[in-house]
Amino acid sequence: MTYTLNAAHLYGDLMNTYGDIGNILAMRYYAKAVDATINVDLVSLDDEFDPDTYDFALFGGGQDYEQTIVSKDLQTKKAALTAYIEAGGPCLAICGGFQMLGHYYIGANGEKIAGIGALDHYTLSQDNHRFIGNITIKNAETGQTYYGFENHNGTTFLGKGERPLGEVLQGNGNNGQDKSEGVIYKNTFGSYFHGPILARNEALAKRILKLALQRKYPDADFSALDELHEDLTKNVVIKP
Amino acid sequence: MSINSLLATWTGKSAYWFLHTFRGGGSSLPGKLALKLDPAILKHLARNYEVIVITGTNGKTLTTALTVKVLREQYPDILTNPTGSNMKQGIVTTFLTAPKAHQKPLAVLEVDEANVIMVTKYITPKAFVFTNIFRDQMDRYGEIYTTYQKILDGVALAPDATIIANGDLPLFNSKKLPNPILYYGFDYQAAGDEHAPANTDGLLCPNCQHILHYRSRTYSNMGDYFCPHCGFERPQLTYKLNALTEMTPTSSDFEINGQALHLNIGGQYNIYNALAAFAVGRFMDVRPAKIAHALSDNDEQVFGRQEIFHVGDKDVTLILVKNPVGLNQVLQMISTDERPFSFAALLNANYADGIDTSWIWDGDFEKLPELNIPAFISGGERYRDITFRLKVAGVSEDQLTVIPDLTNMTAAIQNLPTKQVYVVATYTAMLQLRKQLASQGIIDGGMA
Repeated sequence: MTYTLNAAHLYGDLMNTYGDIGNILAMRYYAKAVDATINVDLVSLDDEFDPDTYDFALFGGGQDYEQTIVSKDLQTKKAALTAYIEAGGPCLAICGGFQMLGHYYIGANGEKIAGIGALDHYTLSQDNHRFIGNITIKNAETGQTYYGFENHNGTTFLGKGERPLGEVLQGNGNNGQDKSEGVIYKNTFGSYFHGPILARNEALAKRILKLALQRKYPDADFSALDELHEDLTKNVVIKP
Repeated sequence: MSINSLLATWTGKSAYWFLHTFRGGGSSLPGKLALKLDPAILKHLARNYEVIVITGTNGKTLTTALTVKVLREQYPDILTNPTGSNMKQGIVTTFLTAPKAHQKPLAVLEVDEANVIMVTKYITPKAFVFTNIFRDQMDRYGEIYTTYQKILDGVALAPDATIIANGDLPLFNSKKLPNPILYYGFDYQAAGDEHAPANTDGLLCPNCQHILHYRSRTYSNMGDYFCPHCGFERPQLTYKLNALTEMTPTSSDFEINGQALHLNIGGQYNIYNALAAFAVGRFMDVRPAKIAHALSDNDEQVFGRQEIFHVGDKDVTLILVKNPVGLNQVLQMISTDERPFSFAALLNANYADGIDTSWIWDGDFEKLPELNIPAFISGGERYRDITFRLKVAGVSEDQLTVIPDLTNMTAAIQNLPTKQVYVVATYTAMLQLRKQLASQGIIDGGMA
């Protein structure tokens, strides 16, 4: 392979609840088309996160119990992760990972659980209610539509410098009130989407992949990615 | 006995008789009617029974079937609930329709995790069996810890009942309980020091919240776990699988506590089910040789969630999948097949399937390219998701046929290049395929 990206799967052994690994698998699949490969390191409890080593970071969602443990350990990586994000390091944070990049979220027993405040959002909780179901959003700058499945109790409110990943067309999104879903801040993307989001949304997968490739190889041409289109009906014997 | 419970019993029995006679069915409605008239009807119906409750996310059905086989070696009167009737109404129906029992009959009940408390409110079981708790349709029941807590909420009403639990699962050693506990597990491998793969649930030590290590591991987060940080480790096993001799897709040979056993069902996960059945058998004083006889008995084939049928000259094995652990176990099982075979994966996302399809990304489909499979089918209502999943796993387009509409499945199966075909399907995809097969006279029309 001509190009190599180094990815950090943050707490991949604890924050892996909804097929989050599929985001990296999908990126790796598209990367092949431009002769790129993705190495993945597990960066978990007591491990160091070196912002200069990585070209992409995935921070998935976990179960409540695991998340409280991660929240504590995450504080030791706060400076490094913040530096990575501020320097424009591409990052995808899903569900609990998305919440923990912000200031705090409310745990299962009503307790306030610290994030790292690398992004300016915060997350409250709903009383005995979850947003569960299929969701569709529209991304403002590209006009692209993204599809996913949401299942969250938390209600997230975006802050300074943050814009939503998309406007909710169907479903609930960040908080069920302001029609926002997810976040974009510099090259960091956050979302409540399971699916996983990059496996179900080719355009977004390629967008983030291209960001990461272009950042590491500024002189290379990755426009071949734009022409790629995954045709999942190609091998259908009788068209639906 | 109250007037209410008499009336409820009579109503339920009449409803069953009517449905059974004129409609050929009736698994939950009689229970529902009886419960309307007397919410505590179970107390009345089950008063003479010694009850064993089998619960957990995976393997309940087969463990229940095997346990019944084992206990029948010694106990003539055993009541059990049919597959799928593992919630309150189905259990009430089971008792309503039971043949007249003798002195102290046994009831072996498969009970849905959240419904354990519905049973223990009215019945004090003699024993509980905990098979395992894996991530399963989390859009319904939440996390593994909350699922376990639901079971324990039910168990709390029967603090004297013996718990027979899978000792290889750390979760079942995470809470202090008043009940006597007997553990079973795998104990045939040399002790080493390994980690579970990162993409596994439930890896935290419940004591000190560090990542668990394993002296040996079977699958998922199960095995001879220990925490080098605080000393937490697998409890002493009462029932040990001490040798694993041979595994094929249709059988396993192994030893438990020195007793050689042959099981006419493939898959490592089914050995766990057999271990549970062995444990219950020993707990109920069935001799090991009799247990061996029951498990190897081939008269009444117990397939659990798999079924074999023939399409033209193809031998097709249809297997229900609903979560990553189950799927990975199926992939492990078919990898023991030495014959050439084709592979089909059918995905729906209706309520009974689990409406979130994310779990397919936690399934180890990456194993498929290693198995030299010449042809694949992907299909079902969510054919796009499963097709992309297979492609990402390394299945090439030339090997792949996509079947969105399952009415085309039989034709697609006939076109496959191998005699052996494995079809994994989520629940409603399986029902749709079975309906299709039944309409073509390939299988009987009844429910699986």
